[in-house]
Amino acid sequence: MTPHDQSPNPTNPAPNDDQLRRVFRTYAAALSAEHTPPPATAILFRAERRRRRAAIQRAERPLLIMQTLGVLSAVFAAAWLLYRFAPHTFPTLNSTTLALSIACTTLVLAGCWTMLRASRPSA
Amino acid sequence: MPSSLEHAAAPAAVLSELAFQRLYDTNATSIHSYLLAVSARRDVADDLLQETFCRLLLHPKSTAHLDTLELRRYLFRIATNLLRDRHRSGDTTPFADPPEPTTHPSLDNTIDIRTMLQHLKPRDRELLWLAYVEGMDHTEISQATGLNRLSVRTLLFRARNKAKQFLTPARASL
Repeated sequence: MTPHDQSPNPTNPAPNDDQLRRVFRTYAAALSAEHTPPPATAILFRAERRRRRAAIQRAERPLLIMQTLGVLSAVFAAAWLLYRFAPHTFPTLNSTTLALSIACTTLVLAGCWTMLRASRPSA
Repeated sequence: MPSSLEHAAAPAAVLSELAFQRLYDTNATSIHSYLLAVSARRDVADDLLQETFCRLLLHPKSTAHLDTLELRRYLFRIATNLLRDRHRSGDTTPFADPPEPTTHPSLDNTIDIRTMLQHLKPRDRELLWLAYVEGMDHTEISQATGLNRLSVRTLLFRARNKAKQFLTPARASL
């Protein structure tokens, strides 16, 4: 049978189990001799790098959650302010409420900005 | 790196470097040959071998209770799963860079095992390799591949028959 034949050869007897085992083991021995696995240090290095990346992701997760919450809060605060101060439904707003609204929005936006800055990877 | 990150990474370092080195020296060659034979690509075998041991290092708790043989089967299980993931992802260009050993120090050297492997399905290659090279029985193969034990028996029987059809000893033809 040539190496490129697609079909089995029906004329020659098939090998028995022992022959098959021997063939496989010979091939395995030759493969092992020919191809050496990469060094263990490469794997340790890869695992260590991945471990550190996972640790960083774990540490950043609360920051990411807070960041999302901050953005959502800012959007809701902006929507609420628009609703409150829209000309057609513009009710009279006393100075205390206005000051509180502005302070809240400023705080939320400042928080968002701080978290965005903190989550930026250092150069 | 901040100390909190070092602390977060600490539990993963249960397997000491020395223990890992020992484990790697014992199992790497056989798993690498297995990956080479099934994927038939050196680059893939190298990558999957690294990934196999990486996963072991990153999940040490799940292997803490395993003895040496169980750990070996567990490694073969990871390697098999990685091979299947690769196969499912569509990156299946087998024998693009065939691992061709240069020496066959026995009378069987004319039996073209590479042609046979080339024509078998990856699962057949896995089963035959585990049975004939690693000498695993049906239970061990089922643990190493995640297949049902009875299925292993049937699938191995079929794979063996297919392999025998493709392998023709030179002695028989002389």
